[in-house]
Amino acid sequence: MELSIVLFLPAAAAVVALLLPQAQEHLARWVALAGAGASFVLSLVLFFRFDVNAEGYQFVERRTWVDIGEFNLQYFIGVDGLSMPLVVLTTFLTVASVLVSFNITFRPRLYFACLLVLATSVIGVFVALDFLLFFLMWELELFPMFLLIAIWGSGRKEYAATKFVLYTLFGSALLLVSILVLAFNAGTFDIEVLGQTDFQNTVIPLNLVFLLLMAGFAVKLPIVPFHTWLPDAHTNAPTAVSVMLAGVLLKMGGYGMIRMGVTMMPEQAANWDVWLAGLGVISVLYGAFVTLRQTDVKRLVAYSSVSHMGLVLLGIAALGDTGLTGATYQMVAHGLITGLLFVLIGLMYDRTHTREIANLGGLSRQMPLLATGLVFAGFGSLGLPAMAGFIAEVTVFLGAFDRFEWAVLLAIIGVVLSAGYVLWALQRVVFGPVKEEWNDLTDQRHWWEHSAVLGLAVLIVLLGVYPAILMDMINPAMEAVAARVVL
Amino acid sequence: MPLFLAEMLEVGVPTIDEWVVWAILAAPVVSWLLIIAYLRKLPAIAGYATILAVGVSTVLSFVVLFNVIDATGGPVVFSYEWFTAGSVVVNFGARVDGLTAVMLVVVSSVSFLVQIFSQGYMAGDKGYGRYYAHMSLFTASMLGLVLADNLLMLFVFWELVGLSSYLLIGFWFHKPSAAAAAKKAFIVTRIGDLGLLAALLLIWARGGTFQIDEIHQLAITGALSSTVITWFALGVFAGAAGKSAQFPLHVWLPDAMEGPTPVSALIHAATMVAAGVYLVGRFFPVFEASADAQTVVSWVGAITAVVAATIAIVQTDLKRVLAYSTISQLGYMMLALGLLGYVAAIFHLFTHAFFKALLFLGSGSVNHSTNTFDMRQMGGLYKLMPITFATFLIGSLSLAGIFPLAGFWSKDEILHDAWGHDRVLWAIALGVAFMTALYMFRAIFLTFFGEYKGGQPVDHHDEESHFHGDPAHPHESGWVMTIPLIILAVPAIGAGVFNMAGITDGLARLLTGALPVPDLHEVSFDWWVAGSSTVVAVSGIAIAWAIYYRRVVESSALRDAFYPLAVVFERKYFLDNLYEDFIARTVLQRWWNRLLELFDTYVVDGAVNGSATVTREVSARLRVVQNGQVQAYGLLLVAGVIIIVAAVFTANPL
Repeated sequence: MELSIVLFLPAAAAVVALLLPQAQEHLARWVALAGAGASFVLSLVLFFRFDVNAEGYQFVERRTWVDIGEFNLQYFIGVDGLSMPLVVLTTFLTVASVLVSFNITFRPRLYFACLLVLATSVIGVFVALDFLLFFLMWELELFPMFLLIAIWGSGRKEYAATKFVLYTLFGSALLLVSILVLAFNAGTFDIEVLGQTDFQNTVIPLNLVFLLLMAGFAVKLPIVPFHTWLPDAHTNAPTAVSVMLAGVLLKMGGYGMIRMGVTMMPEQAANWDVWLAGLGVISVLYGAFVTLRQTDVKRLVAYSSVSHMGLVLLGIAALGDTGLTGATYQMVAHGLITGLLFVLIGLMYDRTHTREIANLGGLSRQMPLLATGLVFAGFGSLGLPAMAGFIAEVTVFLGAFDRFEWAVLLAIIGVVLSAGYVLWALQRVVFGPVKEEWNDLTDQRHWWEHSAVLGLAVLIVLLGVYPAILMDMINPAMEAVAARVVL
Repeated sequence: MPLFLAEMLEVGVPTIDEWVVWAILAAPVVSWLLIIAYLRKLPAIAGYATILAVGVSTVLSFVVLFNVIDATGGPVVFSYEWFTAGSVVVNFGARVDGLTAVMLVVVSSVSFLVQIFSQGYMAGDKGYGRYYAHMSLFTASMLGLVLADNLLMLFVFWELVGLSSYLLIGFWFHKPSAAAAAKKAFIVTRIGDLGLLAALLLIWARGGTFQIDEIHQLAITGALSSTVITWFALGVFAGAAGKSAQFPLHVWLPDAMEGPTPVSALIHAATMVAAGVYLVGRFFPVFEASADAQTVVSWVGAITAVVAATIAIVQTDLKRVLAYSTISQLGYMMLALGLLGYVAAIFHLFTHAFFKALLFLGSGSVNHSTNTFDMRQMGGLYKLMPITFATFLIGSLSLAGIFPLAGFWSKDEILHDAWGHDRVLWAIALGVAFMTALYMFRAIFLTFFGEYKGGQPVDHHDEESHFHGDPAHPHESGWVMTIPLIILAVPAIGAGVFNMAGITDGLARLLTGALPVPDLHEVSFDWWVAGSSTVVAVSGIAIAWAIYYRRVVESSALRDAFYPLAVVFERKYFLDNLYEDFIARTVLQRWWNRLLELFDTYVVDGAVNGSATVTREVSARLRVVQNGQVQAYGLLLVAGVIIIVAAVFTANPL
C-alpha cells in the first residue's frame, strides 16, 4: 500500500492542482510541493525500512487489473536494491523541480500537473513488475514531457519537443516488439518470472531480441549515436524539466538495461558484452570531446551527460557485481550532480537571461553563492572524491577493468577531458574580470532556490563520504543479477 | 653495513593511541567546517580557528613522531571498512610508521608557520575568511594523504589536495591569469593522475588489494609478474610526476605562482608538490622490484632538474626563480629515488620543505613592502629589510648546499648515492648543484644589493588590491611575518643533524623502519663527493657575485653570447606553446573536436533529421492518393484487382 501511495501521490496532487479555480491558480505550486514532498518523505521511510538482507522484491502489491484470460494485465509493483534508490532519487528530484519552478506564473495549474504526472510515470517505470504496466508508464511519461517543453520551453521548443517524443517512440517500438516476444514465449508479463526464465525457441532469435531491447533503452540513456535528441531537449526545456530529464528520465534507460536486458537475457548479454563496452567507451569519449566544443552552458551539460551515461553502459557491459553496482551508483550520482547543475544554470539564466558562455563571466563577484554552487557541482561532475560521482566512476572502472582492460584504459581519458570542459567553463562563466552589466544581480532571493540547491549538495557529499548507505542496498540486488550471467 | 645499525633495526610496533592519529586529521576538518559555517558572520575567526587547529595537529604529530622513534619505525595500522561494491572492498584507515611520522611533522609544522605568516600577509584581503577555509581544507587533505593506509584512500586525498591547490591558485579569481593558472594546474596534474588511477585498477585486478603493506608484499614475494610490477610502478610514477611537477608535466607549477605567496610556500614548495616524492617513497619496495621503473624515475628526475635549473637562471620574477628551483629540487629527489636512494630523497624532501618555505615566505615579505616580485624593480633591500635578508640568505645557502647547513647534508647524500650508482647521473646532479648556487645568488644580488629601483607603484584604482604599504619606501615586515621566517631559519640551518653522514643516522633508521624489508643503505661520508659539491656551489656563488654584484660583464652581453640558448630558456623550452597553442587549441579543439562536432551535427543528427524529412516527403506524395474521391478509389481498386489476377495467372498458368 505504501508504495502505491508513493507512486500515486504526485498524480493525485496533479488532479487537485488542475481542479483549482482560476483565482487560486497561484496555489498550484503549494499543492505540487505538498504532493511531491509527501511522496518523497514516504519513499524515504520505505528506503530506511527496506531490508537489505532479504532476497527478491519488497513492498510488493499485486492485483489483477484487466482480466483477459491467459494474459492478465496486472497491477504488480515492488522494489529491490536496484529500483529503491532510483525511486527515492525520483521523488527527491521532483521536490527539487517543484521548488525551482516556484516562479512559474504562466498557466501554473497545468504546468505543475504535468510535472507531477511526469513524476508518477517515472516512479511507475521503476516500481512496475508487470511488463505491460512498465510499458504503460514508459509511454505515459511522453505526454507531460511534450507539453512541458512545447509550452514552457524556450527557443526551438516545438522542434525539440517533437524530436524528443518521436525519438522516444522509435525506441518504444523496438521495446514493445521485444517485450511481446519474451512475454509470449514465457506465457507471462510478470517481470520477476521473466527474470528467471531461460527462453527457448523464440519467434525472433534471442540475440536479435536482445539488440532491439537494448537499442530501445539506448535511445533513452542515451548512447551514441542515438543521443542527438538530448541536447535539443535540454537546451529548450524549462529548468525543472531539464532537472527531471537529466536526473531521472535518462536512468529509465539504464534501469531497463539491467532489469530486462541483462537479467532476462544473460546469455545474449554475454554474447554482446564487448560491443556494449565499446559503445560505452565511445559514448564516454565522443561525448566528452563534443562537450569541449559547446558554447551554450545547457548544451555543454547535456553533452557531458552523454559522456557520463557511457560509463553506465560500460559498467553494465562488465556483467559483474561490481560493474553493475557501479552503473547503478553512477545513475544516482549523475542524477544528483547534473540535477544540481541544471538547477544552478536555471537560476543563473533567470537573472542573466543568457546561456552563452561568451556573454557570461566574473559572476563570482556579484553572485558568490551561485558561483560557489557552480564550482561545487562542477567538481562533482568531474568526479572529485568525497562526492558521489567519484565513488560511482571508480566502481565502474574497477568492475570493468577485469574484463575490458583496453576499454577502461580508454575510458579513464574521460577523467581528464571532464576536468577540461568543467574547468574551462567555470573559468569563463564564474571567474575572470567583473562585468558591470551584472552589478544589479543578486543570488540572495528566494528560500526555495536555496533549499533545492542545499538539499542536492548535501546528498552529493553524503553519497561521496558514506557510500555504504547506498552500496549495501544495491550490492545484493546486483549480485543476484550477476549470478545469472555465465561468462 | 655497520653492525651497530643492524642491531638497532629490530622492528617494534609503536604504541600510539588511535585517537591521536585521527585527531591530527580531524582538527583541520573541524576548523574548515567552522569557517564555512561562520564565514559570513564572523570572518575574523577564520585565521585563529585555522592556526589553532593546525597547532593541535602539529603537537599531536610530534607525539606520533616520538612514539614511532621509540619503536624504531614499524607500521601500526588502524583500518575500517569504508564500503563494499560487489566484490571490491575498500578500507578507510591510517598507517603510522617512520615515513608517515616524518611527513606529518613536516606538513603540520610548516602549515602552522605559514598560517601565522598569513595573518600578516593576508590582512585586509576581501577573501580573508575564504583563504583560511581553503588552507584548512588543504592541510586536512594533505594530512589524510600521508596517513592513508591504502591506495584508494590515498587517491581520494590526492585529488582533494588538487582541489585546494586549484582553489588557492585561483584565489584572486578576478585576474584572468590566476583563473587560467588554476585550471592549468588541475588539468595537467590530472593527466598524471590517469597513471595513478590505472595503477590502482591494475593492482586491484591483479593483486586484489589496495592496502599498502599488501602491495609491498606482492612486490617482495614476486607474486605478480615483473611486467605488472613495472606497469604499476610507472603508473604510480606518472601520478607522482604530475603532482611533483616532473618533466614534461612541470609546466603548471610556475603558473601556480599566481596564488598568494604563503600558498606557494606551503603547497607549491614544501608539501603538496613533495607528495609525488612521498608517493614513490611509499611504494619504494615496488620500485626496488623493477629496474626499468628505476631507470625511468632517475632519468625523468635528472632531466627535470636540469631543465628547470636552466630556466631559473633567466627568470626576472623572484617567485618564478623559486618555482623553477622547486621543480629542479624535486627532480633531484626523484633522481635519488630512481637510484634507490630512498633515505636520501626523503631527507632532501625534509630539509627542502623548511628552507624552500623560508625562501617563499621571504619573497612574500619582500613583496609585502615593494608590491612586486620583479627583481628588476628591487635592489638594495638588505639594509631596509635586515631580517628578511638574513633569513633569505640562510635559506639560499642551505639550498646551495653550503657546509654545514641542512641542504648540504641532504644534497650530499643524493650526490653520494649517484656517485655510487651512475657516474653520468652524478655529473648531471653536480651540474645542477652549480646552477642552483648560481641562480639563487643571482636572485640575492638583484633583490638585496645595488640600488633600490622603487618597486611597483600602487594602483589605487584596483579595488581588489589589499596592498597598504608604500613601495617607494620599503620597510621590514611586522613580527607576525618575521617570526615565522626566523623559526624556519632554524631547521634550514640545523635540520641536517638528523642524518649527518657518518655521524648521526636517526632519520635513516626511522625511514627504513617503514619498509617491509629494512634495507639500510649505508650512510657514509665521502670527501671527494662532498668536496666537489662544495667547490661547484662556491663557484656558482662567486660567478653570480662577479656578474650581478661586481658587474665584471654585463648580463645583456652574456645573453648575446648565449643567444639561441638563452631564448630557449626564456621561452621555457617552448613547452607552453606546444601544449597550449598547438596541442590543446589547435589539434584538439580546432581540428579533432571540431571534426567530431560537425560529424555530430551533420552526420548523426543529420541522419535523424534526414529520415524525418524523407518520411514527410514520402507522406506528402502519398497524400495525393488519398484525395477523398470515391470514383478514384474505385478505379484504383479495380486496377489493383486486375493486376493481382493477372499476376496470379501469370505465375500459375491454368
